[in-house]
Formats: sequence, C-alpha cells, structure tokens
Amino acid sequence: MTEPILQVSGLYKHYPLTRGVLFKKRVGSVKAVDGVDFALGKGETLGIVGESGCGKSTVAKLLVSLERPTRGRIRYKGEDITRLSGRALKAVRRNIQMVFQDPYTSLNPRMTVGDIVGEPYEIHPEAAPKGDRRRRVRELLDVVGLNPEHINRYPHQFSGGQRQRIGIARGLALRPEVIVADEPVSALDVSVQAQVVNLLDRLQREFELSYLFIAHDLSIVRHISDRVGVMYLGRIVEIGSDEQIYGRPTHPYTQALLSAVPVPDPEAREGRERIILTGDVPSPTDVPSGCRFRTRCWKARERCAQEVPVLAVPEPLRDLGGAAAHASACHFAGVDHGNDRP
Amino acid sequence: MPELEPEGEIVAPGLTALPLDQAPPGAPAPVAGTTGRPRSLWSDAWRDLRRNPVFLASSLIILFLLFISLWPSAITWESPLKCDLAHAQEGSGPGHPFGYDGQGCDVYTRTVYGARTSVTVGVLATLGVAVLGSVLGGLAGFFGGAGDAVLSRITDVFFAIPVVLGGLVLLSVVTGDTVWPVIGFMVLLGWPQISRIARGSVITAKQHDYVQAARALGASSSRILLRHIAPNAVAPVIVVATIALGTYIALEATLSYLGVGLKPPTVSWGIDISAASPYVRNAPHALLWPSGALALTVLAFIMLGDAIRDALDPKLR
Amino acid sequence: MPLDAGDAGDVQVTGPRSRGERLLDVRDLRVEFRTRDGVARAVNGVSWAVDAGETLAVLGESGSGKSVTAQAVMGILDVPPGRITGGEVLFKGRDLLRMKEDERRRIRGAEMAMIFQDALSSLNPVVPVGDQLGEMFVVHRGMSRKDARARAVELMDRVRIPAARQRVGDYPHQFSGGMRQRIMIAMALALEPALIIADEPTTALDVTVQAQVMDLLAELRREYRMGLVLITHDLGVVADVADRIAVMYAGRIVESAPVHDLYRAPAHPYTRGLLDSIPRLDRKGHALHAIKGLPPNLMDIPPGCAFHPRCPAARDVCRTDVPPPHPVDEHRGSACHFWRECLHD
Repeated sequence: MTEPILQVSGLYKHYPLTRGVLFKKRVGSVKAVDGVDFALGKGETLGIVGESGCGKSTVAKLLVSLERPTRGRIRYKGEDITRLSGRALKAVRRNIQMVFQDPYTSLNPRMTVGDIVGEPYEIHPEAAPKGDRRRRVRELLDVVGLNPEHINRYPHQFSGGQRQRIGIARGLALRPEVIVADEPVSALDVSVQAQVVNLLDRLQREFELSYLFIAHDLSIVRHISDRVGVMYLGRIVEIGSDEQIYGRPTHPYTQALLSAVPVPDPEAREGRERIILTGDVPSPTDVPSGCRFRTRCWKARERCAQEVPVLAVPEPLRDLGGAAAHASACHFAGVDHGNDRP
Repeated sequence: MPELEPEGEIVAPGLTALPLDQAPPGAPAPVAGTTGRPRSLWSDAWRDLRRNPVFLASSLIILFLLFISLWPSAITWESPLKCDLAHAQEGSGPGHPFGYDGQGCDVYTRTVYGARTSVTVGVLATLGVAVLGSVLGGLAGFFGGAGDAVLSRITDVFFAIPVVLGGLVLLSVVTGDTVWPVIGFMVLLGWPQISRIARGSVITAKQHDYVQAARALGASSSRILLRHIAPNAVAPVIVVATIALGTYIALEATLSYLGVGLKPPTVSWGIDISAASPYVRNAPHALLWPSGALALTVLAFIMLGDAIRDALDPKLR
Repeated sequence: MPLDAGDAGDVQVTGPRSRGERLLDVRDLRVEFRTRDGVARAVNGVSWAVDAGETLAVLGESGSGKSVTAQAVMGILDVPPGRITGGEVLFKGRDLLRMKEDERRRIRGAEMAMIFQDALSSLNPVVPVGDQLGEMFVVHRGMSRKDARARAVELMDRVRIPAARQRVGDYPHQFSGGMRQRIMIAMALALEPALIIADEPTTALDVTVQAQVMDLLAELRREYRMGLVLITHDLGVVADVADRIAVMYAGRIVESAPVHDLYRAPAHPYTRGLLDSIPRLDRKGHALHAIKGLPPNLMDIPPGCAFHPRCPAARDVCRTDVPPPHPVDEHRGSACHFWRECLHD
C-alpha cells in the first residue's frame, strides 16, 4: 500500500448519557466508537461492514468532521484534522466529502438540483469563479449520468437512484480526494443499486478517488472494496484484503456474518454450513468485558472475559503467510471455525 | 426440451454498454408534469388550496374584511362616532340597515369600522408573536444546550398563566386609548405557543441528512439556518399563526368587553358587544351584528389555517 | 411462436414438488389506486397458487405490486384509495373476495395470517406483548385471560424468546428488532393457520438476526405443514428458502418457476437482469450488469410488454403486444415473447 491518505488511530466517540434537564448528571455513556484504527491508501477502497449499531456510521461522521472524537487522531496526509476549526477545517473539508444513505432526506426539498449541486461553490467561493459555476454544475450532472437540462428541477421529481446521483454530484463538486459513502445504495431498488455501484466504480478511476465504503451488505462491499474491515460494537474485529476477509476469515464474528448472508444460488443451500448466532448485539452502553463478542461466541473461554484481544495478525497464523495472515482481534483466531461449536 | 446453458449470458450490447443510461421515454416514475416547471411543496399546496372550497370561502371573507378595514368609507356613509340619542335602540330603517345601538349610533357603520380595529390587533399581534416566537424557538431548537433548557422552562411558565386573568391584571394598570398595550400583552403571552412549534420543527428539520450534508461541506450556522432549516420549518408556524390570528381577534373582543382592552372612542366589536349587552332584550340587533361579525371573522381565520395545514401536509395527498 | 395475447393474465404454474392440498389460488387479480394524479394500476392480472407445506416466493422491486397483492389477498387493502377491480382469491376453494366481511374476519388470523416488515409499528406500543398474543385466543377461541396468558408464554417459548415467562409482561419497545419479529411470528402462528403470508419479514433486520428469523420460519413451516408466501426483493433470501418463485414486474408476474430452474436459467430478461445485477458474495465480479432505466410509473405503464423500455432484447412486437403467459415446461412459465432466446442465451 502506498502512503495512506487517511490514517485513523485510537479513535473513540462516547456519547454521554445524561439525566436531568437543567443540571445534567452523567449516568453513563454510549460507546459508539471504541478504539478504531485503520489507514486508507490513495485510490483505494476500504469497505467497513457491520450490523446496525456497530458504530460504522459514527466513524463516517467523525471522518467528515460532523462529530468530534472523544479521543484519537484522524490524520489527513499526515495532519491531524480532529483539532482543526474555522478556516483550516473548511479547507480540509474540501478534500473529504460524504455521500449519504437516504436519497430522500439528504437533498433539501426546497432547492433545485442546480442549487444543491452548486452549493459547495457558494460555501467555498475560491473553488470556482462565480460565472463558471453553472457550467460546472451541468458538467457534474453529466458526469453522474443525469440530464444537465434538469438543472432547474426539484429533488422529488427524480427517482431514488437519480437522487443518489445528485448526492454524488454534490460530493464531487469540490474535487475531493476522499469520499466517505455511508450505505450509499442500501435504500435503492436491486436493479438500480448496480447502476450506482458501477457509477462509483467509474468515478473512482476517473477522479482517482479514495473511498471509505460503509455498508451492511457484505456482497456489495466485497464487490467494490480492495480491503475490508469488520466492525462489531464500536471496534474493528478483523481487517484485511477482500480475499483474506471473504476467503479466509479468522474471527468468529466474521465467519458467522459471512455464513449468514443468503447466497442467491439455490444449489448452494443444501451443502452450506451456516453459523446461526444466538442472541442480539449487546448494548453499546454496557459493553462486555474482555472480548466484546464473547457473549455470542461459540469459542469463548475464560480468557475472553478477562483479556481484550488486540487487532493484530494472530500468532499461530503469522507463519502461515498468505490469506490467513491478516489482523484479527480474537484470542482463538483460526481459519477453521472450530469443532467445539454446538 | 432443448438443453439449458446455465452459464449463458444475454448477448445484447445495450445491457453492458449503457449502465448509466437515462430513464427511457415513458418510464421515469416521479417526473410528473414533464413540463419542467418546478413543483415544490408550496406550489403543490397552492394547487390544492385553489380547489378547496373551505379555503376559497375563508379567503373571500378575509379579503372582504381587509378591504373594509382599509377603506371603511367605501361602503359606509356616516361617521361611526355620529350618535343621536333620539334614535337609541331603534330597529333597522332606511339608510340604517342594522338599526341603532343604545347610544343611538348606527350599528352598521360601527360594525364596519370595528373590523379595522380587529384586523389591526389580530395582524400585528400575530406578526409580533410569530417573529418573536420563531426567532427564539428556532434558535433554541437549533443550538440546544442550556439556552434551550432555560427557554423551555420559561415557555412552561407562560403557558401556566390564564390569559384572561393575566389581561385583567396587566391591562388594568395601563391608561390611554391606543391599541398598543393590547397588542403588546398578546405578544407577551402568545409567543411561547409559536416558540414551541418553531423549536419542534427546527429540531425535526435539523435531523435531516441535507443539513448534515451542508455542514460536511463547511456551511456556516447562519447559512444552514436560513437556507436549509428555516424554509423547511416554517410551514407549521404559518398554520398555527393563522389559527392564532382568529383567536387574538376574539381575545381583543373579550378584553374590551371586560373593560380592560380597548376603550372608547376606539371603535371595536368587543366594546360594542359590551355596550349592547345591557339592552339585549330591547335591542338584540345591536348585540347580534358585531357578535356575528366577530364570529365570522374568527371562523374564517381558523378555517384558513385548517385548509393550509391540510395543503401543507404531504401525507394527506 | 404463440402470440395470442387474448388473455393477458399471468403465468400460473403448479410446483412439481407440491404434494399438499391447494391452499390458496389467486386468479387474475387486479388492483388499482385512485390518486389525485390519476389511476395507478398496481396489480394487473396476477395469478399464483400455494399448496400446503410449500414456500412460494413473490419477488419484486418496490412498485412491482407484490405487497399490494398480499394486502388484497389478506383483505387489508386500504379501500379507498385502493380498489380490487377483478379476479378471484380462492382459499381452500372458496372465493374470499365474495365473502361477507365477518366471515372473512374469522378466516383472517385463524386460517391465514400475515407477518409484516416493521414489527414495531405492527404491535400496539401500550399493551404488553403477552396480552397481545393472548388476545388472539380470547377473541378467536373464547379462552379466559389466564389461559390465554399461559398460551402466550408457550408461544413465546416456541419462537425461542429467552425467559419467556419473565418477559410476557414486557412492552414491545423493550424487545430488540429480532425479538419483536419473533413475537410477530408467534402472533401469526397462534391459531395454527394453514397459510402464512410474510411481507419482507427480515428486511429491517441485521444479517445475523435475519438468518435466525428465516431459520425459525422455515422450521415452523415444516413442523406445522403450513403454506408460506414470502414477499421479498432479496434474491438471496429467496434462493435460501423458496420452493417456487413468482417474479413480479409492473403489477404482473413475468416469470414463475421452481427455484432451481429459475436461478439456473431464467426465462425472462428481467429475471436475468436481476440475477446479473447483484454482486455475489461467493465470487468477485467485474462491472455489474445493471438493468438500464427505472421501473415504470404505475400510472403510465408502457404499452406492450411493460419491461420493453429496459429490455436489451426488445423488438417491435414487444412495444405493441402484451406477452401472454407462455408455458416453458409443465412447471414454469414466462411472459416474454422471446422466452426461448432468453432461456438459451
């Protein structure tokens, strides 16, 4: 991997839980992001998968400075952006843009498409001279596959897929280097999802973009990502190339997650071995001690309750090399998901 | 049955070559109208309203009311202060369709002139309440924090004050015959209602992703408030303010009736209703006409507010 | 090539493996919605059937009419704006659409039940779940409150809600999404209906929880030998559980086939497009083969074959003639003029 464009280290975001109206008393905290490290290389796509409540969307918000981290660093080209404010923050924002999940709420219904896609230029007037903005907006609409003649229409005159294209055009307007996409296709119809995924693919090549692609749909993440991180309860439990994660997963959670995904192939259903996890994800206000997955894990032993597993290449797999040797936060990591499973 | 080829693929250039194709003609689902004329919540609402008989009736009444408040002499021919005790309590006669009141003043003329006072008080009080309430409530909702908590408690306190009792206490100490103390009193007690609505709708609008998107672009708070939140939060405020306008007119009449609102020589429906009530057996018409005008006006504003609420609610479409 | 478009009704096939009695037979069902902007033709002659012990998946994107069909069958369609304009819904041989409302109500819940996508809004937030479950027994079986509560605990055990006895008095919001969906399933199962219609039962759930719930549904179906109609947009879920599939597009069934046949060789370009457009977990592809364009506006369905503006294989006849249901073999059918080409490509 080349010099990372984004480097995230020791990232925490805890939301305080308070009681009382005027005089707030802190009664606990929601540990939405609880120690996350990763790096994003230039031109690379890093996929983050996880179930709802795992903190993946909070990571997205932290990266685009919509939230301030409780602790930790986000370095963009070596510079820590978590302490920036004012003009310096605005400058960094030009380079890290976001595509939102819901194409229905992410566009202001009272603004025309031209105003929505052109707003970045109004906020950053130095990005484009005033007389040139309209032309650039038309160009952007063309790039994302929309008719530039529709510049005066309102969002509700477009379908979900077209609206997502408008959101992508807005994200591209300032020519960012990094795009954080939070579930960009999960609200779209199956036949339209592929169009948007292909568009993102093409734009990445055309504009040399780096993507942080956040989704719960493992198939789409696999399709678009070079590397994949799996999140559980505020932490990355396993990270590696797509072959490593999908071909040789070593963390029990990843294994269970992958086996639970329905495969669109009826021939596969008889032979497939599925790991059905018991129970639900624990509340992020009350994270289990030690390994946070242990309450649902079939491999859990005493050690798991006491020692927090670090995200590193597991000792027994280190010498194996190849696909198995990638970072996994499990005391008993292994390609084989174990025979002692019930 | 010929053999199947499981790994077969459709050989068709269109499938792969045009992944980004625009919607084909006839297919685009939501592009209604196709005229390219922008449709917004407001234009949709207007389309709804134009066909709504309740809206048409109420706005006709209100337009007429506005007209006679601006030019009462257009449909009257006397001064509302020209009274002749000789005609006191007389019924209707030529040139005096509504008859005379207890002081011998022409009820028709006074009812027409009374509209001006009612409309002035109603409109100004509503404007004051709407501006003060939406600014305070909007800012509190947007910034949250301690200021919001304090404001919420203050609105609770104001909600606890009985309006008529508050009027009796506060307005009995002011003297003079202008409409301003009454308007000021209404603004003082009315703003929490709008403030609460504005705060709620700003908080709702604030959570939309487009606000987050603007913030991620680096937009300033004032830009977000004015450009993204205010236009999307204003609808409920307009609805409540319209309905409130009717109630302020009724409140003015109530306060005037109780003797703490407007005072003669100001011409007001409340004052006339108050003055006519002692002779209601002998001259019911002197009570009937101003009360009727008052009821109709209040009803018109409430109906208008209702119609706007329906039109602005996309869920009802 | 048979081009007789006389009856534009849809493909209707019986499964090869269906050994059970015919439970539900939907014939040429038509539903429209009257809105301010015009008439939306949501369901335009849909026919399918489901037997005891069988799982039929009705697959479609949003606006395909799959949920409206289910609502019309269950008799919970909002009327107005909706209106059933034609067809029959035969449940064990009797037409539900011609029944009196109170007769239908007795069948609903007791003989056929429905599971919705959003369990939270389908449950009453101010009534404990145990009482909501027990209500079924009180109303339909005339049980006492106490007995009904005992049955509720039994049912919650049955759908594997941990500590059912302690949780029977809890309110819906105190359960997680997966647990709420289990409660919905328990409710549907309460009176041991012959047929369950599940409308996107796992769409709102996380993958691991989705697997739990689908597993439970499949197991219960086997155990009670129920018919299951699964309404979904997810080709993966369908492949996992269905015996047969009916693919819907613009209010019609465009293809109907046993699950293995359909995935192996689709006989309709839309089905083929769907299968090609989804990324696969088990193999990393290159560019996805997206279906161009958008699903049609139901107020303005294209003439001829509704899919022709998006179809890579469309020819002139597709723009003018509605394709009739062609029998592909004795178990499957396709509403495409050129189903042969599609099948062999």
